[in-house]
Formats: sequence, structure tokens, C-alpha cells
Amino acid sequence: MTKSQNSVITLENVTVKYGAGTPFERVALDGVNISFPKNKITGIIGHTGSGKSTLATLLNGLLKPTAGVIRLEGEDIHRDKEFTNKIRFQVGLVFQYPEYQLFEETLERDIGFGPRNMGLSDDEIARRVEKAAEFTGLDAYTLKSSPFEISGGQKRRAAIAGVIAMEPSVLVLDEPAAGLDPMGKEEILGGLCDYKKKTLSTLLLISHNMEDIAKYADYILVLKEGKVFKFGSVAEIFSEADDLFNSSLDVPQITKLFIELKKRNVIDRTDIYTVGYGARAILAKLGESGL
Amino acid sequence: MIKDITIGQFFPGDSVLHKADPRFKIIALIIFLTMTLAAESTVAFLAVLFLTLALAALSKINPKVLFKSVRPLFFILIFTAVINLFFVKGETPLFKWSFIAIYKEGVINAVVMAFRLVCLVLGTSVLLSYTTSPLDMTDALERLLSPLKYLKAPVHEFSMMMTIALRFIPTLVEETDKIISAQKARGVSFDTGGLIKRVKALIPILIPLFYSAIRRAYELAEAMECRLYRGGEGRTRMKVLNVKAGDFIMIGVMLLACAGVFYLNNFELNI
Amino acid sequence: MFINAKGLWFSYGESPRPAIKNIDLGIEKGSFTAIIGHNGSGKSTLAKLLAGLLIPTEGVVTVAGKDTKNESEQFEIRKLCGMVFQNPDNQIVASVVEEDVAFAPENLGVPPAEIRKRVDDVLAAVGMEEYAKHSTYKLSGGQKQRVAIAGILAMEPDCIFFDEATSMLDPAGQRDIVAAMKKLKEEKGMTVVTITHHMNEAVEADRVVVLNHGEIYADGTPVQVFSDVRNIKRAKLNVPQVTELMYELGKSGRQCPTDVLHTMEAADRIERLFKTHDKESKQRYNP
Repeated sequence: MTKSQNSVITLENVTVKYGAGTPFERVALDGVNISFPKNKITGIIGHTGSGKSTLATLLNGLLKPTAGVIRLEGEDIHRDKEFTNKIRFQVGLVFQYPEYQLFEETLERDIGFGPRNMGLSDDEIARRVEKAAEFTGLDAYTLKSSPFEISGGQKRRAAIAGVIAMEPSVLVLDEPAAGLDPMGKEEILGGLCDYKKKTLSTLLLISHNMEDIAKYADYILVLKEGKVFKFGSVAEIFSEADDLFNSSLDVPQITKLFIELKKRNVIDRTDIYTVGYGARAILAKLGESGL
Repeated sequence: MIKDITIGQFFPGDSVLHKADPRFKIIALIIFLTMTLAAESTVAFLAVLFLTLALAALSKINPKVLFKSVRPLFFILIFTAVINLFFVKGETPLFKWSFIAIYKEGVINAVVMAFRLVCLVLGTSVLLSYTTSPLDMTDALERLLSPLKYLKAPVHEFSMMMTIALRFIPTLVEETDKIISAQKARGVSFDTGGLIKRVKALIPILIPLFYSAIRRAYELAEAMECRLYRGGEGRTRMKVLNVKAGDFIMIGVMLLACAGVFYLNNFELNI
Repeated sequence: MFINAKGLWFSYGESPRPAIKNIDLGIEKGSFTAIIGHNGSGKSTLAKLLAGLLIPTEGVVTVAGKDTKNESEQFEIRKLCGMVFQNPDNQIVASVVEEDVAFAPENLGVPPAEIRKRVDDVLAAVGMEEYAKHSTYKLSGGQKQRVAIAGILAMEPDCIFFDEATSMLDPAGQRDIVAAMKKLKEEKGMTVVTITHHMNEAVEADRVVVLNHGEIYADGTPVQVFSDVRNIKRAKLNVPQVTELMYELGKSGRQCPTDVLHTMEAADRIERLFKTHDKESKQRYNP
């Protein structure tokens, strides 16, 4: 595990037990140590039940760990209640299918809900709403619409904008592209990358889709049965792609192809995770023999 | 958090009560409730208490679970007990201190009231809610009320509504939890501020919940039509309710017990 | 043709923009068709029109010869075509699995013993027989969808539609449902139509119909449709990664036909590419 150069959130020996002491006791996370690198995009992958969602709710202080410490910029986020309450404005959390959180009369008011809860001035709220709408591609007309009149894709963007408007330094998103078609996916994920670049924030993306993670992430955290299975840069993780594959984790089809090609002794590259890399690797090898 | 509520939940099992015909259980429950409320003398009441405990034992349900069903009543029980203790005037004072007087009758009343509530709740739980699956309950209700169909009462519709409502309770509870988490993540506080503030804090929960519930209803209706639902006419049921001798015996015992309670009302215990 | 649509137009309510524009489409009995398209292309609308859940604004849809516009035939058509919807929760009526599966036959007035038999059979067919008495609430998304499929099978339809039924599932759940779709076609000879934007699902079908802005954009076998990579991208969709790989390699001037969709086939092709390449380079240096 990379002892990170510059980490923004760390988990030190964190354990989460549900129903402790009852016959239904379940360990969701077991003594995990994680450092999330600052200003980077970290993808979080793992099977259903691996602890991904539990991790998300720990990061913004919503859930308190049974044991261990969580630090934001070095400070224990549970050091006192007041501090914990402020954490949720610094670590924004967007849940799966967040469309259901919309409730205000207009999108404008809904996106401003978070900032209003922060006690900001009206001018500041308006500024933040405008910026958040810009990042998520919502135009002025849509902002004046009711959240119940717009399309599913627009609702998704509005929900994300509502969290971005709090200007958190860390943004955690649980399956932000769930249920979207390829174009919708690209718009949302591309928009998030753009947001991260422009605001120098940190992005944590939980996803089932390895192809998406491979395309957009800088680092990958792999969770397995409540423990850290792997953590490293995308290249590092994919250089051990067989491990992922053998853990029945979905790897991108292109990675599967190269695992197979290695088996057949055609080309010895198993760190391929995008089509572009794959094409370049093949052409390079073909080029080696002089053609 | 909200998932810990056990009132109304079904605990599968194979006790005598689980296997009894749900229609007869409903009738038995009505008789039981009647006798519990009708018991006046202490003797009669002890008989009811004994019957309740016997039913609880018959249900083979874990006593801890049974206790959980009664726990929410504690506040009411204590409140009732206190009222009876201090405000019921009787003949035999037990304790006097300036204007506060506690009479023996008050003590007995307090105890009886408290336990009556316990018997009502416990009896309903073991006789019906804990030992009967939600579908069996609504099914039994529908069958019992079906004669009302001739009076144009919407018996089937009512039953279908109950089935769907029961099926969606855990789903909606889960959704409420999710909505609460999402709004908390946007800075809503549910446990601070004055009354008005707290009520306002419910709006971001209730509006999404209602919207979602209505959308679910539309989608469910479409799915039901797709599966050929067109009301109660001509509908059969997979589950066949076969009345057994045991069911009649259960009713018989209940009726006897009820008669017994009315009889015992004539006797009083002299403590 | 089991289902036939001719000159189909459809607009929602008073909307000036038609969701479906002049579509002619036939679905053969026993076929497995995937209808794909970007969000808003009209694919769900088309599915509902074909299944008789929506009535055409203009044009005709017939199912086994019955016109969907005909009110008197609508019930018969519903019996023939079942649909599994996107949200696993919003199609489950009962709290217990077997009770939910029994819903359709109960509506049909099937005798209780026969319902029991059907329920047991269909639960076995979708691999959920162990869960017959389980609560529906605690099932995973994939399991709920399998129960939904069983519920449809219990009414013994000829055709089953899947309206983005895998969209809300995790990869394991998606795989289970796609496997179930194939099984329905192969083992039960049912006509299967799936509406999706998951390419790994579409490639399993016999035929892929691509919708773009309410019109049919492409129609053919998965290989035929996806090998035209540029065309698919113009419809705002993706092709399988290996197909795209061949496309990229082809750009370099090599002979790289894009008619490959699956990992193993692609591995074969690449292997052969290297072998011919080696042969050619050997020939070059050892004439």
C-alpha cells in the first residue's frame, strides 16, 4: 500500500460492526488502514458486501466506526460533535440513485439546500448554485424547473450539483453513473473529472464498473470481505490483473483479452486496461519485428 | 434503526398457533379481547392472565421477542399505574402523607390495568401478528368479510390494499433511512432546534418519500396489469385453507374461557 | 411474425415531438432480440407498444395476429406477452416469494392445485426453488428479478420482454438475468425481447435493433451491427472493447476486420495476426 505522499483522508485500524453483541452481528469493515491521496481520483471497487457503502458513510462522519480513527487533514473527525457536524460540508457524499433527495420547488432552491444549511449569505449561496449548475451542465431554464418535471438524467445532475454546491474538498460518489446509458455516463464522469481539475478537490468513486474506473481513476482501492485487498495506482493494480480476475472481480474486457493473450504466449502485457493502451501495445510489438 | 420495531412482524414457526386456520384465529382473538376487557374481578382477571401466558407458551416464540413487544408500552403502563395509585379512592388506605393517599383498591387497580394492557398486546401478538404471515392475515380477513360483498362492500380491494401495504412497509422504511442519510449529508439536523425547526426538517424527508411512493404505485399498477390483474372477480387463491378439528377446539376453548371469565366476575379475592 | 408493427407512430399525450417515428418491425417467434439505443431513443416506448401495453397513435401492432388497438383482444394479448420491468422492487406484490409468483395464475382463476404446480415449476426454472417461502424484501436485486421472471412464466406467455431489467443490478445480477434470458429462449422456445444499453447483454441476442431518436437506425445480427463501429458511436452507443480494439488496429492500415465481439474470438484473431505477421517477416528476411 502506498503510504501516501499527500493524503487528505486516512482510516487508521477502522472496524465497523453492525448489530454488535446480537446474533446478527456482522463485520462490515475489519481493521482497515487506508490513505486517500489528495487531489486525485481514487476508484473504490469490490463485490456487493465488501464494505464499499459502509466506507462511504464513514468518510463524511455519518457513521461512527466501532473502532479506529478517521482523519481529515490529520484531524480526528469524531473529536467532538460540532466538528463532526461540519465534516459533512467538507466531505460531500452522493449516494446511489441520488435523484430521490430532490424536494424543493425549483432546482435552484434544491441545489442551494446544502449551502443554506451551512448558514451562508444569500449572495454566496447564489454564486455557489450557479457554479455547481455550470459544472453539472444544467442551464438557467432547467434551474427554474421543478425537480419533478425534469428527466432522470437531469435529476441525477441536480442531485450531484446539490452536493458540489457545498464546495467540499473531498467528494465521495457511490456509483454516480448507475443506470445511465453510455453517453450519460461519459457526461457525468467526465464532468466530475473536470470539476476535480478545476477545484483541486479529491474524488472518491465507488463503482462496479471496472471499465469506467480504469478510464477515469488515478488510484484504485480494492475491498474484499471488509478488508483492503489492494491499493495502488491504476497501473500498479492492473499489472496484477490476474489477481483481480481470480477474485471474480469484473475486469475490463480488454484486460481479459490480454490475460488470455499472455496465456497463449502471444504478448506479455497484463497491465492493459484501456483500448488505447491495448492497441498501442499490440502495434508496438508488431513494430518490433520490423514491420 | 427503525428496523428494530417488532410490532406487527411475523416470526415463522411450527407451533399449534402457527398452524391454526387464520380465520379462526381472528375469531378467537375477538373472543379473547372481549374477555380481557370484560374481566372485572381479580379472580376473573387472573384467569385471563393465565390464559395469555398459556397462549404465549403455545406459540413457542422466544420470550425475549415477546418482551420486546411489550416494552413500548412501559411508558403507558407506568403512567396508568401512577394515575391509579394516586387518584383512585377506595376504602382501605395504605399510606397517607399530607394530601397524598394511596388506597389498596388503587394499588390493585393499577396492577390490573397495567396487566390488562399487557394481556391485550401480548395476546394479539401471539394469537395473530407473530404467528400469522401478513398474507394469511389479509387473506383470512378477506374470506371472513366476503359475505359483505353482497352489500357491495369493496372487500377484495381492501384486502389487496392491505397486502400491498404490508409488503411495502420494510421497503419504505429502508427508503426513509436512505433519504434521511442523504439529507443529513447535506447538512440537515433532526435533533436540534425548536419545535418549528424540527417539523420543517421533516419536509426534505416527506416530500421525496411521497413522490417515490406514488411513483412506485404507478409502476406496480403497470406490473400488476401486465400480470393480468383485473380486480377480484374470478380470482382463485393458491393457498387453500383447510379447517381442521383443532381449529374448532380452539374456538371451543376460547368460548368456554370467555364464559368462565363472566362467571368468575362474580367472585372476588379477599386480600 | 409473432409480433408485427407497421407504420408505427407514437406521441405521449399532447407532446408535439413523436417518441416513435414510422417504424416497421417484425419479431419472429422463438427469437431473441435486443433493442438498444441511447436514453430517449424510444426503446422502452417501443417495447411497450410491441407488448400491447401502449396503443399506437398511428399505425398497427399485431401480436399473434391480434390488433393491440382492439379492446376486446387486449386481455388475450396480455396473456401472450409478459414484461419484466427495470425496478426490481416495484413489480413485487407479495411479501413471500411463492405468493408473488402465484399472482398471475390467481388472476386467471387457475385452480389451486394447478397454481401450486406452476409455481413450483417456474421457481425451479429460474433457480429460486429454495427461496419459495422466503420474504421478498430480503432478496438481492438479481434474485428479485428472477422472481419477477418466474411470476411472468407462471402465466405461461409465449413472449417475454425485459425493459432495462438489468439496469439496476450489479454485474453478478446482470449475468444471472442474461443467462436466464438465453435459457428461456433455448430451453423453453420463448420469444425474448430485451431493451438495454448494456453491450455485453446485446451481444448475446440473435438480433440487435438499434434505435436513434425514435427511428430504426440499424438492424441485424450482433456482429453485423457492432462491427460498424463508427455508425454505433454516432448513435451515442458503445461497442465491446475488443471490437473497438480491432477498429483501432485497423486504423493503422492493417487487415483488422471488426466482426469480433467476444474475448476468445478476439484472442484468436490477434494470435493469428501475430502468426501471419511473423510468417511475413520471416518470408521477408528469408526469401
